[in-house]
Amino acid sequence: MSQPSPARNHLSRQAFFGRAGLCLLAAVWLTRPTDASADITKFELDGKIFTKQLYQNDDSQGLMTLGNPFWPDKISGHNGVGTEFELGIRGHVSSLVEAGARLSSRFGERWQDWWESGASDFSGVENTSGDSAGMNRASYMKLRGTYVQITPQAYGIDWLRIGSSDFSMFNPWTIGKVRYIDRDNGRGYFASGHFGSNEAFQYHIGLIAMPKLFVGPSWSTGLGDPMLTQAFWSRDWAYAASLRWRVNDHTTVRAVADLTQDLEVDKNDPDAVGSNNPNCLDKLGNTIAGCAPDHAVDMKTRYASFNGTFDIDQEIGETIRIQGLIGYFQQQIDPTLAGNGVALNQGVFPLVYKDAHDFAGTLRLTATDPFDIGLTLQGEYFNIGSEWNSIFGARRESDVLLTEGLVGGGGQLPTLNLANEFIDFDDDWVESCIGWHGGTGLLTLDRGDTQIKAEYTFITYNTNTVSLNAKKGDVDHPRDVDKIYPDFLHTDGFTDTALYDYANTSDRGRDPRSVYRRNQARYTNIGVLNLHHQFMVGRGLDLDAKAKYINDVDYRSLTTTEDDYHGNIYQARVKLSTPIADGWKVGLIGQLDQWNELNRKGTLELGYGDDVTKKAMVALQTSVLFAGVKLSYYLEHIDKWQDRQRDGNQYWNIWRSKATVEAAW
Amino acid sequence: MNRPYLSWIAVSLAAASLIRVAALAAAEPPIVLADPADDDRGPGNYKYPTDPAYKAKSFDLRKVEVIDKGDDVEFRVTLGAAIEDPWNSKDWDGNGFSLQFVQIYVDTDHQKGGGFTEALPGLGGVRFADDEAWDRVVLISPQGKTRLSAELRAKAGAMRGAAIVPKSTRASGKSLIAIVKKSDLGQINSKWGWQAVVQSNEGFPVGKDLLTRPVNETAGPHRFGGGNDGDCDPQVIDILAGKAKGEASEAKAQYDALAYTCGSKFARLPMVYPGQ
Repeated sequence: MSQPSPARNHLSRQAFFGRAGLCLLAAVWLTRPTDASADITKFELDGKIFTKQLYQNDDSQGLMTLGNPFWPDKISGHNGVGTEFELGIRGHVSSLVEAGARLSSRFGERWQDWWESGASDFSGVENTSGDSAGMNRASYMKLRGTYVQITPQAYGIDWLRIGSSDFSMFNPWTIGKVRYIDRDNGRGYFASGHFGSNEAFQYHIGLIAMPKLFVGPSWSTGLGDPMLTQAFWSRDWAYAASLRWRVNDHTTVRAVADLTQDLEVDKNDPDAVGSNNPNCLDKLGNTIAGCAPDHAVDMKTRYASFNGTFDIDQEIGETIRIQGLIGYFQQQIDPTLAGNGVALNQGVFPLVYKDAHDFAGTLRLTATDPFDIGLTLQGEYFNIGSEWNSIFGARRESDVLLTEGLVGGGGQLPTLNLANEFIDFDDDWVESCIGWHGGTGLLTLDRGDTQIKAEYTFITYNTNTVSLNAKKGDVDHPRDVDKIYPDFLHTDGFTDTALYDYANTSDRGRDPRSVYRRNQARYTNIGVLNLHHQFMVGRGLDLDAKAKYINDVDYRSLTTTEDDYHGNIYQARVKLSTPIADGWKVGLIGQLDQWNELNRKGTLELGYGDDVTKKAMVALQTSVLFAGVKLSYYLEHIDKWQDRQRDGNQYWNIWRSKATVEAAW
Repeated sequence: MNRPYLSWIAVSLAAASLIRVAALAAAEPPIVLADPADDDRGPGNYKYPTDPAYKAKSFDLRKVEVIDKGDDVEFRVTLGAAIEDPWNSKDWDGNGFSLQFVQIYVDTDHQKGGGFTEALPGLGGVRFADDEAWDRVVLISPQGKTRLSAELRAKAGAMRGAAIVPKSTRASGKSLIAIVKKSDLGQINSKWGWQAVVQSNEGFPVGKDLLTRPVNETAGPHRFGGGNDGDCDPQVIDILAGKAKGEASEAKAQYDALAYTCGSKFARLPMVYPGQ
């Protein structure tokens, strides 16, 4: 092969550029934006880059304070910085069809993970190969949130949707809005429409593919169940419907219901893989009556649940609003297909392990500024049955009660399926309100620059095993927390959500899902006072102050007073915040806690101890919005002293921070 | 014992009280602007987004009240449904509601040559008449002050100086309540003109839109429908129209004002002059 001569090469280059130039001109001409706007507007693209940094004075490595509570997930830990990117696409396929998708990178790769390829060679042991940490540390892009939404222009049908939904058309008691991190992982077939004059009736129906990993016994629809050798989850569906009737401008009623069904293979069917009767012969070699292969596999229901609610929203005049809800729940468990996690998993199980049914109801009255002085009055009665469970209900980021509750922040949900997981230390917590029975009064005084909220709540519990009015000699009925009622292993002590660990190695108190106790005769008083005032200093100085008192009493067993729990929880919090420039805000926060708990935890056999917990927290918070980028930083220091009568005293000296950078376009 | 500072304090308190009483005495009577029910359809054919968070009548303007509070002015905007917070606004430093975004435009001179005839970015193909050009706009948004001021800096251009971020904004029942410093707005005059535009808060706005949600040809989960996929359509859901008495005829007046033709005719945002 000869080398090209320089001259030939030169001429060739000229000819090449000449032809290329003409081609380029032609291409530019042919692709000129003659009517580009019509095509471009068929697409909407949203991009977002999110970076998070966690640092804490400990030796854990990861990007999330509390990750998967059960499995090691390679992303949990308190020291690390990582980034995710997502691209949202909405397309107008035609005037009647919209489609969309989201491409999002898996969060979990730390900036130090330079060469991680996504491979998980070497048995998952991290090493210097760059092929060891697996996909969770490789920022791979994952397809999420795909949907096609059709407007059929048919009477009574507004739209049909195939694909992702956040299920917000139902309610937290039935099928709840999916938590933020899962918000478009739920998929199904949906329809919505209206009929009647002025859209008086509106309906939503959904056929929803059940998540294989949380709706059902042992948080699964079969996977990992010790009773199953071959879990089958591909035909597990939930069915949901809501019908809203706007009776008039002041009255709206709504019915919402869902049914979940987890199917498993009938192993007695000779066509099933691994059948108990592949030849339709019993142990003696006799033909089993009614058993014959037909190349079709029968199914049995492992678990099924029904949740239905009926609610009314009534306005009276300009100021009064009444909201009421009643609900019914029922579940069935086949113990031959669903293992007893209460017994096998130390009470950590999202269901009562038996067929069950129960009712729930709430009634809220609101009088919005009836005296025209900025004072709003609210009252709520709630009564949630001891065996109610919204197994597919909202798991967090929703709230069904007016009260701030015990743990505060995230609110209360009527499920054992709470998701205080995949969160950071500054996120809110939710608590289960199964069995709660009581009332809340809330006064809100709004006077322009000043807002005051005062709450009082009284709760007693349908989960009590004995009446609070029991007299000496009355019989206690201990709850079976060994085989039926999940107690989540840790039932005692005020919950420390700020310094929580799943395994409870640091005495963090009750699991927020722990609503059942072997012996319980409990009531709770909650008082909360919130004050907000804006001082006209500089750009406005906001003061937020809060005082909270909880009096929590549980007489536990009637056989003795030695186990009586008396908790007095005091909390005080102050926050000062102010903008210091356009788009730049700073805040300073302080909080003091003291928890005096008599007979906080223990057993009748070993005795109980009186514990005192003190906490002091200070934090600095700032956020800057600059040219479309949001930067935020939160630095916190916590001192915690736990003075324990039976166990050794404990002390925490925690420094931790969280920084985020978010650019969305 | 001689304590002159006590006298000084007493005199100061008395003077402050007198000033406050005088200010309240000088306060204008409330301005009340009404809007008919069920006209939350822009130029007449707009539809709500299909996501269930956008509940019926939650963008249906019913009443705007402007109340002189001495040093402050309170804006109270009443809608057709209870204000809710489906996106937990406290998580993003918000004001206790999520969906609505109301812009109240004020014309202080009713003359040609002053103010702006274009609206803030994000309202699509709308214009004010030359002699109804606006001079102030009050932003009643679920977004916190930090986000609002940053958006204005980035997107409002020359209009930024005329935009007022309230001291405080909150929701109460069916009403949005914003407190504005009178020093920002000026002493209310009965000859001023008003327009209240109801839009929806979009935390991730498209392009240069100032926290507004687009109106497309077809309603989507988070897009209003009935308009145009471009931005030649008026991207507003409900406005004041006619004489703002709440009469049924004002719905038609709104639809007529917001009628548009892409490429040739802007929709008009009419000012309402209650004192004239």
